Amino acid sequence: MMRGSNDRGNGAAMKLAVSLRPGEAPSDVRASAGPDFTLLARFVQKAEAAGLDMVLLADSAPVAGGPSNSQVPFESTTLLAALATVTSKIGLVAAASTVAHLPYNLARRFASLDVISHGRAGWHATMVPDPPEAANFSRQEGFSRDDFRRRAEEFIGIVQGLWRGWDADALLFDQHGGRFFDPEKMHLLDHKGEFFSVRGPLNVARSPQDTPVLVLSGLSGPDMDIGARVADVILLDEPLVAGAKADDLKRHAVAFGRNPGAIKVLMNVAPGAEMAARPDVIADRLEESFRSNCCDGFNILMPPLESVLDDFVDLVLPKLRRRGLVHPDYRNAALRSHLGLAGEEGR
Amino acid sequence: MSGRQMKLGAFLWATGHHIAAWRHPQAHVTAGVDIDHYIQLARTAEAAKFDMIFCEDAAGVREANVNIASQTSRSIGFEPISLLAALAVQTSRIGLVSTASTSYNEPYGLARTFLSLDHLSGGRAGWNLVTSASPIEAANFGSTGLRPHADRYERAREFAAVVTALWRGKLDGVSGPGHDGRSFSVRDPLDLQRSPQGAPVMVQAGASDEGRDLAARTADVVFTAAQTFEEAKAFYDDLKRRLPAYGREPDDIKIMPGVAPVAAETESEAREKYEELQELIPDDVGVALLSSYLSISDLWRYPIDGPLPELPASEGMQSRQALVIEQSRRDNLSIRQLARHFAGARGHWRVVGTPAQIADELEARFEGGAADGFNVMPSYFPGELYTFAALVVPELQRRGLFRKEYEGRTLRHHLGLKRPA
Repeated sequence: MMRGSNDRGNGAAMKLAVSLRPGEAPSDVRASAGPDFTLLARFVQKAEAAGLDMVLLADSAPVAGGPSNSQVPFESTTLLAALATVTSKIGLVAAASTVAHLPYNLARRFASLDVISHGRAGWHATMVPDPPEAANFSRQEGFSRDDFRRRAEEFIGIVQGLWRGWDADALLFDQHGGRFFDPEKMHLLDHKGEFFSVRGPLNVARSPQDTPVLVLSGLSGPDMDIGARVADVILLDEPLVAGAKADDLKRHAVAFGRNPGAIKVLMNVAPGAEMAARPDVIADRLEESFRSNCCDGFNILMPPLESVLDDFVDLVLPKLRRRGLVHPDYRNAALRSHLGLAGEEGR
Repeated sequence: MSGRQMKLGAFLWATGHHIAAWRHPQAHVTAGVDIDHYIQLARTAEAAKFDMIFCEDAAGVREANVNIASQTSRSIGFEPISLLAALAVQTSRIGLVSTASTSYNEPYGLARTFLSLDHLSGGRAGWNLVTSASPIEAANFGSTGLRPHADRYERAREFAAVVTALWRGKLDGVSGPGHDGRSFSVRDPLDLQRSPQGAPVMVQAGASDEGRDLAARTADVVFTAAQTFEEAKAFYDDLKRRLPAYGREPDDIKIMPGVAPVAAETESEAREKYEELQELIPDDVGVALLSSYLSISDLWRYPIDGPLPELPASEGMQSRQALVIEQSRRDNLSIRQLARHFAGARGHWRVVGTPAQIADELEARFEGGAADGFNVMPSYFPGELYTFAALVVPELQRRGLFRKEYEGRTLRHHLGLKRPA
């Protein structure tokens, strides 16, 4: 057991994220709501006022005949950029598919988002195979499970490599001497792999928080190694096995030469209507899971409705705070700092 | 409103359009990592009633020679779609146009992203379609060499058709056929609502024969580079003549040549300002930039004070290359002179003078049927955008050539474009 005393004993705070999921609101609300950035902005500002670590923005994969993306009616990375300008502390994580993007473009978009947000951006990649969007990206045949996994792993490696192409002190801005950057501090990636070849570097400066935060979800058996090697945050679904999985992940991380604290495991929870009716029960449940070391915190799934967020922030959060489980406020501006991740440390 | 008025774009680029802009004391040297700087620029352009701000794009560091690159500010900056999405909610009227390449994107993702930008901005988004010719970009996308020109355009035509169909809700694999073409397949309609302006505005900049043809077929706005009135007029007439073949009217396309103005209260001040910038260009940077325009790598081998050598035709930017060569022969310029000349405005039209002189020049091209408006390329930011907004825009307004207030809320409305069915 690598974690227990290390993490929790030091009084590490419970990490809290909220996930905005399209198509989860009652259908009458969904039908009436047009694309309204203002409402989403208010929602995220409220989450920031409550001191939550981050908001996860889903990116709907359209499925033939399925629900349309009417609750979060924007593409996730553009929405993240817009939200970054109306917030200043909270982390902003956008889902983006490895099938819908090419690694250079995706790395560049998120690097740019991280500069726009002053180091508060994260990329949420899912390892769930056979994504439905393949059919809209000239991949009618889809991917075999194994191809998808190898491709996703290579993709993520390229993105993280590109994020490190410029040293933090590469830009000199020396107007008089005519030296804008130090050529020694720009690094080509020169990746040649099974699915991609990418020379680099990115044409975006180094992230203010070292690199954008990488969030992975949908990990099954063989993906655990990938997660342990590269992820900053891992989202887990099943409460019953989460503890064992979290242990496993951290053990693997150590085997890869990382600090066990370099990965934060968040458990997905969808408290729903129970939040308003029995906030004590919810708080007890979160505390119990947290104290039993089965996760570092929670990703709370909710529709992007202020009333639902209010229930959590006004009823559940104060109880967690009174019990000393969450930080009262942000200590720094960067998402890595909120999450207790330290950039390169532990690698 | 009186008669026809010109359209104006504010072309935002790094520290400025002049290659040495970043070294100028009034340039904001950290522009490429400062979002607040861009918000300020966008608001300045909006206060001056520009139709749009425009961002170019390349998916890679532009200059292969790292020592040359390190002497310019263009190797790092914001990715333009995320930049415009941030600006969308910090402005309320001005159009937001970004370049994106058909060579390294998929139509479904691009259509969806620009439509999202359109929703965030309430109908102010536009896409500038380009095809990529640069081997530097290609190296970031796993391709070994350049595709010949025709293939790039074939892909672009299919790409544009799919994007247009998606934006107009005319591509739906559920209730009708999806798209299954040579380069792309798409099954579903977009999962976002229809654009507030019908569809984002389509912009294009390719000036080769195939580029013009694609523009005549699909573009709402065309950016172009033209040094002289005659070149501008010839391009304008040629493009508008191609429209009827696609069932379109001359007014359906707005042609906006680039202009690099250097304005000051007096002509001598304007000249001084220009010379001051030219002095800041290192020779090797100027020659490298010229080399990239000519798509040749060994220009530095030739004597810098000698003439341009004879050059083979290239697969890259054919029209831009022809422009450079023509100018060098016409004005009998040495490599150094040509390099400095092009470094300043990158082959676009440069006008140095008082606000009245600049307005005269713009008016002559606008009234002479060589332009519907201009894409303004300030030498350095923020200073020269402020100068244009404070000096030249009021002069154009006084002459009734430019709006004093926005009359609509969408980019299509500003540009006087029809709402697509």
